[in-house]
Amino acid sequence: MNSQLLLQTIANAGAVSAMYAMIAVGLTLAFGVMQMANLAHGHFFMAGAYTVYALYALHDWPFWFAVAGAVGIGAVIGLAVERGIFRPLRGDVVGGFIATAGLMFVFEVFMGEVWGWGHMRQVPSPYMRAVKFFGASVSFQRVIVIPFAIACIGGLLVFMRWFRLGRALRAVAQDPEAASLQGININRMTALAMAIAGALAGISGGIMSTIYAVTPALGGHIILPALIVVVVGGMGSVGGVTLASILLGFIITFVTTLVDGVTAMMVSVAVMALVLAIRPQGLMGHVVT
Amino acid sequence: MIYFIWMILAQSYRLIVTIHDWQLYHVVLYGVGAYTSGMLAKNLGVPVFAAIPLGGAVASLAGVAITSVLLRTKGWGFYIATYGLAELIRLSWMKFRNPFGGSTGIIDIPYPPVVAGIDFSARIPYYFFSLGVMLIIMYMLYRLERSRIGDSFKAVSMDPLLAASTGISIPRQRLLACAIGGFFAGIAGGLLVHRLGAVDPKLFNITTMLYLLIWIVVGGTNSFWGPVLGVSVMYSLFELSRPLIQIRPMFFGIAMILVLLFMPGGLEGMVAKAAVRLRRLRGVQTAEAE
Amino acid sequence: MLLEIKDITVHYYKVPAVRNISITVEDGEIVTLIGSNGAGKSTTLRAVSGLKHPTTGEIRYKGQRIDKLPPHAINALGIAMVPEGRRVFPQMTVLENLLMGAFLRRDKNEIQKNLEGVVYRHFPCLKERRRQAAGTLSGGEQQMLAMGRALMSAPKLILMDEPSLGLSPIMCGEIGKIIKDIQTEGKTVILVEQNARLALALAQHAYVIESGDITLSGPAKELSKNDDVKKAYLGG
Repeated sequence: MNSQLLLQTIANAGAVSAMYAMIAVGLTLAFGVMQMANLAHGHFFMAGAYTVYALYALHDWPFWFAVAGAVGIGAVIGLAVERGIFRPLRGDVVGGFIATAGLMFVFEVFMGEVWGWGHMRQVPSPYMRAVKFFGASVSFQRVIVIPFAIACIGGLLVFMRWFRLGRALRAVAQDPEAASLQGININRMTALAMAIAGALAGISGGIMSTIYAVTPALGGHIILPALIVVVVGGMGSVGGVTLASILLGFIITFVTTLVDGVTAMMVSVAVMALVLAIRPQGLMGHVVT
Repeated sequence: MIYFIWMILAQSYRLIVTIHDWQLYHVVLYGVGAYTSGMLAKNLGVPVFAAIPLGGAVASLAGVAITSVLLRTKGWGFYIATYGLAELIRLSWMKFRNPFGGSTGIIDIPYPPVVAGIDFSARIPYYFFSLGVMLIIMYMLYRLERSRIGDSFKAVSMDPLLAASTGISIPRQRLLACAIGGFFAGIAGGLLVHRLGAVDPKLFNITTMLYLLIWIVVGGTNSFWGPVLGVSVMYSLFELSRPLIQIRPMFFGIAMILVLLFMPGGLEGMVAKAAVRLRRLRGVQTAEAE
Repeated sequence: MLLEIKDITVHYYKVPAVRNISITVEDGEIVTLIGSNGAGKSTTLRAVSGLKHPTTGEIRYKGQRIDKLPPHAINALGIAMVPEGRRVFPQMTVLENLLMGAFLRRDKNEIQKNLEGVVYRHFPCLKERRRQAAGTLSGGEQQMLAMGRALMSAPKLILMDEPSLGLSPIMCGEIGKIIKDIQTEGKTVILVEQNARLALALAQHAYVIESGDITLSGPAKELSKNDDVKKAYLGG
């Protein structure tokens, strides 16, 4: 591996890490607040990608307007899933989990029927320029997700620490019953968490749509690494999940470049098994008793 | 034929569900059985009827291995991790062309031989052979559920603390459930592979697992008859909807969500309720007649 | 009459935990429910706070029916609860816990005044430890935090579920003193206690609950002289 390829791989790994972080942070936030998680979260990401495809590639909206649309669509889907599935099934962890597995089928078919099966939708890149550093050139489009992820996750952390509603999210995650006694409406908080999760998935899907081939199977491809990141990082821990995203983003990108994608997935699953064997609650998860 | 295999898979999965270990690797264990049995028969010349139970044994070991790594992981993390480790096995079939044949899989797997003048490689005898295996397995699982072991599984799923305090070792019971369930899933794989004569990793992906979940959830898991109903009704619908192959997953996904939301006991629960109502109705009538 | 509990029955699954219980609470008094473990005291309190809905009967607060409202709506009416086992948010700081208590209040100045003038005055130790994670506090400090958190909503009525549970005798005395102080500030308290001696010393009215039924009630002073009560709850 020469130095140019190395730098390029590092840049790619950074981008992949940023994408995983945005997907997985939403997933873990929703998990923390509801104690239920969403297998169809990758399909929220896919919905974001299709939104940008439809608005930007087909209808010539400005790219960032299209991404904003993806955020909105993601949030709306998140709210709908909270209302339709998680709220009625609250407390039934297995049920919620299986129901969103069914939802994966629903989304996949829906996207396939609307946008065509087997068609790869290529979204043209709005930024053809490349960033050069240390002699390596990295496409601007590929790394632009990094500052976005930092802004979004940083914003989320600030929100959860310093804002009334953000603190309420944390309170619900730690003790829903005690939180409701403080006047917090739990239903509103789970809806908020799912909206944020959906919006984060939507924005990352929107930005990454120019790099990935957009197909109905995209959601299914992205969910496994995202789930691994959440499990490794620790369910409900935003910090742990961000750390795990970076770890797995680098592992997956480097192994993919050096060997192949299948091996990369195998290595990351093995890392997950190792982490869970040593720390069953994940790197920074709290022990649930 | 495939119906029998689904039935074995669903029933063996329900055994694991009775101890509340919903996992997502059952279909991959079915694949482990298929690969093992197929490779033993093809590469080592093991007789087919010996290779099938050996496949079951290897699948059982794989299940125990996965669950023992994850014994301390709880709730949702456990489900996800079972999915991840199942993918690890499945991806290794894709990754290693030798001996697993990569993503195209293995072909030219031996068919069963002629035994006592019956050619088991033919369609009809094999059909009855699978039917027989299915009935035997179902009978065994039926008895198992009513044995002490079955009771201890239920005790663990209902109240783990109480079960532990009565001297039941929870990890041991969970591993036992995995071992038994995995063995039968492996047998199902063996039955499949010696009929198809070929095997590939796509047969055992998460989509197949989701269908298994749908059969189980829609059928209901409270009793032995839930998976019977689930597989019978849903698999028939599955076959009937073949012309709508592209939107079929959506239909089944919605069906499962609706069942989870509005029919917590599944089809079996509904039948049970209807039976109670019918009996009550009859009771009223006989009372009036008297 | 501030709160009226009329003939409520509360079920857990299919088992009734309390049966046809009636309790009245006047403005400004401390009312205590005493009884042994599992008698239904906590269940009654959970019904008032909205965590558990009664199957029959009604609960009225200032004349308004509240037995079908969710907990957050009941909090909004001015009823705060100090739950059993303290239930502070362990990974949040002491200050954040206190601010959660004021979740429904929007006026920052009022909240600050309440924090300094009421909560930190009663519990100076909370001020010292305001940046510490609540999970790292001692049991007594967590109890104070839970009480402080309830006070942060500026409630009219405070429900306290076993505040002395697991605390040292000295700490119990201190908590008792603070409950008395809270009353003199014009708040009404319903106190559920296993420590009957403490509860009867604080309260004006008392109810004795035994396996889901009220067996005795009356002014606390009289009850503490009652022979049955003495034998069963005051150690002779």
